[in-house]
Amino acid sequence: MRIPLILRIGLLVLATTGFYTYVGQMVPQKEVQAPKETELSGNVSTADMVQIGRQIMEGKGLCLTCHTIGKSGALRFPDLAGVDTRAKTRVAGLNDVEYLAQSMYEPLAYVVPGFPPAMPPINKPPIGLTDQEILCVIAYLQTLGGTPTVTLQTKHHYNSGAAAPAPAPGAPPKGTP
Amino acid sequence: MTQSVPHKLIILLALVAALVTVTRTTRGVHAQTPAPQANAATPEQSKAQDQSKPYEEAEYRRFPVVGSRVAIWAVAQLHLLFAAFVLAVPIFAFIIEVIGYKTGDLRYDRLAYEFTKLLSVSFSLTATFGAFLTFMLIALYPKFTNYLMSVFSPTFLPYVLLFFAEAFFLYTYYYGWGKFHPLTHLGLGLGLNLVGTAIMFIANAWLTFMMSPRGISDAGAVLSVRDAVFNYTWMPINVHRVIANIAFGGSVAGAYAAFKFLQAETDEERAHYDWMGYIGNFVAISAFLPLPFAGYWLAKEIYAFSQTLGLTMMGGAFSWLFIIQAVLIGNLFLAANYYLWLGMGRVEGPQPLQKFIKYLLIGIALCFMVWATPRSIIATVSEIRAMGGSSHPILGYLGVMSAKNTAVNILILTTFMSFLLYRRTGKVATVPWAKKGHTAQLAIFALVAIFVIFLGVYGYFVEATVRIKLSVPQVLSVLFAMIAITAIDIFLFRGARRTGEVRWGRMPAISQYVLIFIAVTFTWLMGLMGYVRSGLRQHWHVYGVIRDRSVDAFTPTLGFATKVVSVTVLLFFLLIGVVFWISSLHDRPDFKRRSRLEEESSPEYSVPHAPAPRPTKS
Repeated sequence: MRIPLILRIGLLVLATTGFYTYVGQMVPQKEVQAPKETELSGNVSTADMVQIGRQIMEGKGLCLTCHTIGKSGALRFPDLAGVDTRAKTRVAGLNDVEYLAQSMYEPLAYVVPGFPPAMPPINKPPIGLTDQEILCVIAYLQTLGGTPTVTLQTKHHYNSGAAAPAPAPGAPPKGTP
Repeated sequence: MTQSVPHKLIILLALVAALVTVTRTTRGVHAQTPAPQANAATPEQSKAQDQSKPYEEAEYRRFPVVGSRVAIWAVAQLHLLFAAFVLAVPIFAFIIEVIGYKTGDLRYDRLAYEFTKLLSVSFSLTATFGAFLTFMLIALYPKFTNYLMSVFSPTFLPYVLLFFAEAFFLYTYYYGWGKFHPLTHLGLGLGLNLVGTAIMFIANAWLTFMMSPRGISDAGAVLSVRDAVFNYTWMPINVHRVIANIAFGGSVAGAYAAFKFLQAETDEERAHYDWMGYIGNFVAISAFLPLPFAGYWLAKEIYAFSQTLGLTMMGGAFSWLFIIQAVLIGNLFLAANYYLWLGMGRVEGPQPLQKFIKYLLIGIALCFMVWATPRSIIATVSEIRAMGGSSHPILGYLGVMSAKNTAVNILILTTFMSFLLYRRTGKVATVPWAKKGHTAQLAIFALVAIFVIFLGVYGYFVEATVRIKLSVPQVLSVLFAMIAITAIDIFLFRGARRTGEVRWGRMPAISQYVLIFIAVTFTWLMGLMGYVRSGLRQHWHVYGVIRDRSVDAFTPTLGFATKVVSVTVLLFFLLIGVVFWISSLHDRPDFKRRSRLEEESSPEYSVPHAPAPRPTKS
């Protein structure tokens, strides 16, 4: 029995779209929800902040889309392993908390040599982390090469602490990237 | 007993009514209106309450069953597919008509007309889907649509006027075929193309603004409409769409020709539609080759606008979508090359160049495999442990941009060479410098291939800032090779000796199914890339400025997205089938004439061995 032409073409169209739909089911399936603001009360401990910070980095903050932790080789953005050690001495006049805060609020103030000036301000849309969420991220980053010291009450230049002076843009780097 | 039953029934009904009232009240249906008051309200009071109800603008409305987003998605995609077809066909119909006018070959004129016949019904469908989309946006996303209208209101009048002009040019171009001086008619075709492109540019401003907003304050207030139009991704999308539309339109026109070829009953018809299919495919692949370069530019501008947006695209939620894209593009390249290889059989006599195709196909398959290699692999915990991470210790190197950029550039170069081999099938160059010419072409091809591979490997050893920039010389060198080799080829084969004639129509049926496969794959690819362009905004209506707060403000799985794309593609082919059928009515003989012909072909009128009568083609 000869299959009518229109049916043959219809089957071909169906088979082709069916194949591509199948390919679509073979790749990892992840539904990405709109990020929710993390509700933090005043009595959150630094240890809790570290946990929350790590979650924010993986989720709402999108940090690990670009940054790696513990990788070497041809990286597109700086690896974060040991970042706290470098943060303490990276820019003259800034301690680790101030430097990490500057990296998120004003990321183009200092760009690690060899990497593109591509990081967006994290406190503004589309990422839009709150001041408290950024403190949690700093708490987690401090665990990478140091000891977390921040609390939700920690003040820095960008959350109206104004304790540390704003560093000069393009201040000379110290240490290795 | 008989009296107690109605009483019980009344009590039961009263209880049910009370229960319903309580339930509705506790659900908050009447949270603002105390139930006793509502129950006690007279019809007049209810009417007065209704009259005093303030106007509230709904932010979102829900589309039944599939939800608002999927409904808008499907209608927008169908509108875009028809619009792409309507914009693309006049471009190559015009070019073919110009060739016909310059060469005096009537076949080209007939071919251009055949393409144009597909336009009028498609134009109506495009407009219908456009209106449908507008109404759906107003109904389902009223507040946001209102915002977009407030930003772009100055563009609406020019858009409508251009649409009128488009209708004028399209119908005079179609109905005026052969009725005007050729140059006047070509002028109409040119007008049709210019106006169509301008319409697309305006519509592109609206959608690119949503992705890369400009000319507004942080809160969304309009500061400059001009800046809103000239946003980061506007021009790259314009260019990308013009090229992609041509590729898509060519492939659909090729599918139409394939359908007609398979239906054909005479050698003459087969020859015509084989040629038409070849031209359609040639247009599609010629436009497809530079498309990745336009894609680079678009991606570059996305990164320039927002690194976050760029990284969401390439390294975040959408990164696996590009693996699916690689499968589609790989299939397109393989199918196009297979069609060319089959096409070499049209030419009389043995074809020495045909043996080279298999090597090119091996090269294409290798590039395809590299391109489709993911950076991170789905694996079990033990497998990940054995690999030392989600990246394979060896294959992981092929999953990065250095490898993929190299693969796609070699893929383009190889397909180009395949075209070139097809082009010179059945010809022998007779110019005195023929040998040098061939050597120069081969040298350019080899040097550029080596250069592209070298840059790809070099990318592994340099820092990010240098590596990103390596894609530019890769692209430029491939473009240079394509232009230089084509230029040499034109002069090399001027006055070439023919070793065999091209026998149009001598193609196996499988080649026509390949053309249909290419058209479906192109359409699916457009659907997929349309999804990524729009979906990239994720939970934003206007990226970074106006948040999507609807129930659909999440990014669905790729599996779900591909299902929506498939349904849209199937609907498109169903509708385009109707377009083909309506267009074919043009060739049918008049009803009375057909009845007479059928009568004549009945047994009492039949003449032994007489061919079945066919309607005369226009």
